[in-house]
Order: sequence, then structure tokens, then C-alpha cells
Amino acid sequence: MLIFGVLRSGLYSLASVGLALSVGVIGIVNFAHGEFLMLGAYMGYWLFASYGVDPLAAIPLGAAGIFLIGSLTYRSAIQRVLRAPELNQMLLTFGISIFLQNLAIILWTGDPRVATVSYKATAVSLGPFTVGLPQLLVFAVAMTLTLSLYAVLGRTRIGKAMRAVAQNRLGASLLGIEVDRVYLLAFGLSTALAGTAGLMITLQLSVSPFIGLLYTLKAFAIIVIAGLGNINGVIYASLVLGLSEAFVEFYVPQGGGWAEGVFFLLILLVLLVRPQGLFK
Amino acid sequence: MSLLVLDGVTKAFGGLVAVDGLSLDVRPGEIFALIGPNGAGKSTTFNLISGLLGPDRGRIVLDGADITEITPASRAHLGIGRTFQLMQPFHDMTVVENVMTGELFGHTVPKSLAEARRDAEAICHMVGLDQLVNRDVTGLGVANLKRLEIARALATHPRLLLLDEVMAGLTPTEARQAVAVIRQVRETEVTVLLIDHVMSSVRDLADRVAVLNFGKKIAEGSFQTVAADPDVIEAYLGTEEGDTHQH
Amino acid sequence: MSGRQAVQVLALAVVLVAAVAFPFWANRTQPYYLQIAINIISFAILALSWDMLARTGQLSLAHAAFYGLGAYTSALVTTRMGLPIFLGMLLGSLVAVVVAAGLGMLTLRLRGIYFAIGTLAFSETLRVVTNQLRFTGGATGLVVPPLLGGQRVPQYLLILAVLLLAVVVSWMVNRSRWHFAFTAIRTNEAVAGAMGVDVVRFKVLAFMISAFFAGITGAYYAHVFLFISPIEVYSLAVSVGALVAPIFGGLYTTAGPILGAVVLRVGEEILRSTVQRGYPIIYGLILALVILYMPRGLIGVWASVKSGLATGRKETREPAGP
Repeated sequence: MLIFGVLRSGLYSLASVGLALSVGVIGIVNFAHGEFLMLGAYMGYWLFASYGVDPLAAIPLGAAGIFLIGSLTYRSAIQRVLRAPELNQMLLTFGISIFLQNLAIILWTGDPRVATVSYKATAVSLGPFTVGLPQLLVFAVAMTLTLSLYAVLGRTRIGKAMRAVAQNRLGASLLGIEVDRVYLLAFGLSTALAGTAGLMITLQLSVSPFIGLLYTLKAFAIIVIAGLGNINGVIYASLVLGLSEAFVEFYVPQGGGWAEGVFFLLILLVLLVRPQGLFK
Repeated sequence: MSLLVLDGVTKAFGGLVAVDGLSLDVRPGEIFALIGPNGAGKSTTFNLISGLLGPDRGRIVLDGADITEITPASRAHLGIGRTFQLMQPFHDMTVVENVMTGELFGHTVPKSLAEARRDAEAICHMVGLDQLVNRDVTGLGVANLKRLEIARALATHPRLLLLDEVMAGLTPTEARQAVAVIRQVRETEVTVLLIDHVMSSVRDLADRVAVLNFGKKIAEGSFQTVAADPDVIEAYLGTEEGDTHQH
Repeated sequence: MSGRQAVQVLALAVVLVAAVAFPFWANRTQPYYLQIAINIISFAILALSWDMLARTGQLSLAHAAFYGLGAYTSALVTTRMGLPIFLGMLLGSLVAVVVAAGLGMLTLRLRGIYFAIGTLAFSETLRVVTNQLRFTGGATGLVVPPLLGGQRVPQYLLILAVLLLAVVVSWMVNRSRWHFAFTAIRTNEAVAGAMGVDVVRFKVLAFMISAFFAGITGAYYAHVFLFISPIEVYSLAVSVGALVAPIFGGLYTTAGPILGAVVLRVGEEILRSTVQRGYPIIYGLILALVILYMPRGLIGVWASVKSGLATGRKETREPAGP
């Protein structure tokens, strides 16, 4: 149960850290975050089904592709509402979300697709436990990427620029940081991370135009638990969510159905009791 | 008997004590000024009196009634009106509608929309906004926004009017007009508690002055007395760059 | 009464007569149109109900919750307890109102995006719970008895009457002291409070009024379409629809949400018959384009067209001061 929850939290971290980046650096709560994940998943499926590219090997290409789409979205839409009321920002990304989801339905129909990699059913034993190889791989890649993002933010020039902008837009621009470039980069990176999480999903689960919303909501839950805009809290918050879901699935009768509700309850509780987040 | 009494009021934000055991005593009909360097706790004191913040310790009493625990709206109904330092007009409303909101909700006398509008227009006239009653507030200049702040507060028919830096950013002429308006308000038996950095206005207006520094009251008395107080001089010279400027 | 007012009253009367006469014509020639009209009117009530709450600055993503509570309460008390349908619908909306009062109290401190996410979470929690419980019929849903013997014309007239009630309430809110309280709270809660507006009372009241109309519409839906399931009535599509229409039509007005609902639904019908799948893409596009290019909605476009026509009128400028 524990292993299950921990493994799952790896994917959750990757799926939500991009949203935390967008909220933390740009201040945009992107309701279309899950749709970029969905696009990444389709890209993974398409590369696999047409060219036999393993979704793991497709990460660089997939991430670059989604980065491009994300940057375009930023330039054509998000950029224009940076100073607009929060309502407008929220609704704009909502519109983008509906647009992308239905675009996917038009392009690829609503039927779920599955990429069956050769090692899909392979299991590995970890001491006394047995876990699926895809789950393990996804966890490893997701954690590596999330931790590298932390390293990038902590160590590199561009990471420092992002953190500076996050703290004080005006101050950062006075220091000669090109705020607009940083925003573009942060948004592109945010969507690319979601897209990569989408690629990972093709390894374990089916892909459909509707998965985006689910992951947007889970990512919301995680960043709300972490504290809106708190990028470092994402890993812990993902653990909280992954473990509580696994707990409900294992110990509650008909837990599979209830687990769906766990994150909503978590969001509601955290918002009502501790709106600044648990890890802030 | 005092109109407003603060009794050992304390408010801290995290580790920072913004208001530290402050006691004040404002008498009916006077103009009382609260001055002090930036960050001395003046605006926090206003937020405590108007109920936007609750104190950690101490009591706030209006005309003999303890109001420490009641909501801002109830305090408004009991007769506390205030302006905001950063002007915060209601967008999506015209000038007169902003003022009408006070006429409709700020006191306990029920008024029809027509009565509220008529009375709000009279207040606009008094503060010099009569040319602008039907304007959207978006795009108003600083001086008019300050007038609107005063007009809205007056529309709640306060017994105690809290004025938070209504002179800041005004030209000397505009500041003189504001002083005249405040004098006129006092004529209507409204007690005024004001915060300001414009010392000439404080000198011209205030019957009594209290000086805050780091959340504590360091002096109280007539303007002449506190201006000569060595502690006050040190508080200002020690921290200030240009806030004590005279007009 | 001035000439302009007379024209307005006349126009309203014509619309009203047409709306009442419509089913008698449609029922004979185009029964399907009647069904669409019922849909449009229900959607318009939801949109107006969302807007009334939004006037206090509370941007709800929980309208599906009240809609679903209305639908499920009425369905359950009529099927399980055998209560009359009208009583069921009334109980449905009352449950929605009571729950709204509770949710309103809980979410008082939440602002903007936090409020939206919190209400969304609430709505989805209800969906999951309904999905899991046995007495609600679980994921399979419930079969619901028909309203007014399943006759479309009286059904249509009933929902039209509810819309009229919503219009009257919305109109009264916008023309009374409530309008000042709502607008003040929306712009700045702290200032509104300091000016004597009882913020808690008005925010919760707005929640309850809004939930009443969403709840009764949900109950109506159940008894007209005769089957409900969690995924359908607690759907995010309900909440999203309820907010897109006012934004498209014009926020914080009575006409805007209704206009938005009518245009969107008619557009959706046309699209549905031409593109078949993925037609909600238009919602996404419209939402994005409206936010980017016409932030005041259709009503705002109409207002600027009107003021553009009235040429020669000088902009009133702020005098430089005495």
C-alpha cells in the first residue's frame, strides 16, 4: 500500500510541479494545465503507435513539442491578461482548456487509446514487494525531472531570475531581468512538464481527451495542499495525496470509487482550515 | 466623558509588534491627530478602531460601549466612519453611488434610494465633488479621490470620523481646501481623529496630538508641546527622510 | 413615461407574449423545438442564478452542486417517499438553499481563485458521494416520475414562470439597496464593511438566492428528462455553462446572462447538427475571445455601438479643479 502510494506520488509531482511554477512565477492559475498533459500523452501514443518510439525515449521530443505549444499559448493569449483581474485570467485558461479538450475529441475521437509497450506487464521485486516495471520507471523519471527542476531553480541563472520575478516583478525588472522572457520560459516549461507527465501516463494508463481535467484537478489539490505558488512543497503534497488515495483504496470497502473523492475532500479541508497550505 | 477610549491595545503581526499597549482618549468635538514616522502603527491603529483587525490585547470603547469584538459594519452603525489611505473607491459605481452606499448602509436610519441620492449629492457638494456626481470613479485624479473618500465616510453619518492621510499627495491649495472641509465637518459636531504627515495641516487643525513610534505612544499634548518634545524630535530625525516636510 | 421607456415596455411585452404563445405553435409543428426551448430557458435560469452570486464577487464553480442537490432531493422524495412532484421540487430547492447557506459560511474567507477551487471541490465531492451511496442509485442513476403527466406545453410554461421569477428577483436586486451592497462587496469587502455593509449577511443571502434557482432548475430537469445520474447532474459542464453564459452576455446584468444563454444554446444546436462531435469547442473559443476582446460581453458591445451612434456628444471630462 505504502509503495503504491509513493510510486503514484512521483507522477503526481511531475504533473503538478508545472502548475506550481505557473502560479508561483507568473501568478496564473492555469485551468488548461491538464490539457497540456493530455496533449503530451497523445504525442506519446502517436509516436509509439506510428513509429514504435518508446514513450520514455520520446521525452525530449515530446517535451519540446509541448513547450512550443505552451509558448504559443502564452504569446497569443496569456500574455494579454497578465494585468487583468483574476477572474479574467481564470476564465481565459478555462476557455483554453475547453478548446483543447474538444479539439482533441475532434482530432482523435473520444475513444481511449492504449500504448502497449513490451514491458507493460513486467514486474520487478523490490525486497519483499513486487511492483510493475512501468510504475517504477515512471516514478524514477518523474522524480528525477522534478528534482532537476528544483536544482535548476536553485542553482542556475535562469532559475534565480525566475525566483526573483516570482518575488518581485518590478524589482526584478529593475535588476535588468527581462520579465516577459522569464514568464514565457516559465509558462513553456510549466506546460512541457505537464506534457512529460502525459508521456509517462501512456506507459501505464489509457489516453483520452478527458484525462486532462482529472489531472488539472489533482494538480490543484496538490498545489493547494502545498500552498499556492509554493514549488518546493509539491513533492510532499504529492505524497500526501498519493498515500491518502492508496489508503482509501485499500482499506475502505469499494475504495476505488471513494478514492476519486479523496483529493476533493483534501482541497476543501485544506482551503477551509489552512488556506495558506500545509507546507508553507 | 470620552467619545473613544483605547485601553492598552496591542497588535502583533508574526514577530512584529505594530501597536504596543496603546492607550488613547478622544473627547467629543475635538480634532485629534495621530502622527509618527512611517511604520509607527498609525494605520494599524485605525484598522483596530474600525474593526478591520482585532487586537491581541486591550479594549476599545466608543461612548461607554465596549466595541472590541464587534464587526466593522456594526461599528459603522454605532458611528465610526473612516477613509482609506490608499484610496479604494468602488469601481463599477459612479461618484454619487459610492457616497450613496454610505447613506444606505452606514447608519441605522432607513432611507429610500431617492433620499439617499439627494443626501449623497449634498455631501458631494460640501466636499467639492458637485461637478462630478455622475462620473465613473475610474480615471478620477488624486485630489478628487481623496474628496470621495471623505464624502463616503461622511455619508455614514459618523460621530467619530477617522481620516487616514487625506492630505497626502495634495497640492498646497488642495490641502488648504481639505483643511476647510474638515473644519466644516467639526462644526457639525463630528469628532475627528486623523493621521497625517503634512505637519502644517496638523498644526492648523489639531486640538491635540499624539505621537507614535514603533507602536508606542511617546508624546501627547498640543502641537506646540509635542513638537518641542526631545523624544519626538529624535524619533523623526532618527528615521525620517522627507516625511516631516512643511508646506 | 418617456418615449424610450414606452418602446422598451412594448418590446418586453412582445417578447413575453411570443414566449407564452410559442409552445402552442411548436407543439403542433415542431415538438423538438419545444424541448430545445425548455433547455434554453433552464440554462438561462442557471446563468442568471450564477450571475446574482457573482455580483458579490463570489465566482462559483459549485452550480452543479445545487443543481444536483435539487435534482436528487426531488427524485428521492418522490420515488422513495411518494411525495407529490411539486412538493419534491420545492424540497429540492430548499435543500440546495440550506446547503448553500452552510457552504457560504464556510467559504466566506476564500477569495477569487481559492473560492472557485473550493466550490469546485465541494461539487465534485458531492458527485463522488452520490456515486458511491446505494440509496441514491449509485453510478447507475435514478428513474424519475414525470412532471405534469409528461406534457411538454405545461412543462414549458412552468419553467418560463421560474425564469420570470428569476428575472424579477434579479431586477429587484439590481434596482434596490442590495445593488449597492453587492457591488461594494465585490469591489472591496474591507471597505464595504467599514461603510456599514453587513458583508457576511449579503454574501450568504446571495448564495441562498442563487442556490434556490439552481436547485429548482435541477429538480425540474429530473422530472422532465425522467432520468438522472451523478455524472450528468453534478457535471462540471453544468457549472461551466452557468458561468460562460453571463460572461458572454454581460456580467452583473439581468439581460446579459439570458442573452448569453440563448445565443450560446442556439449556436450549440446549430453546431451539434453540423459538426456532431467536439462542438463544445465553441464554448472554449468564445470564452477565450470574449475575455481577450470584449470583456463586457454582448451587452457591452451593444452599449458601445449605441454610444458610437450618438456622435457629437462630448465626453464629460473631469474639471481640472477650482
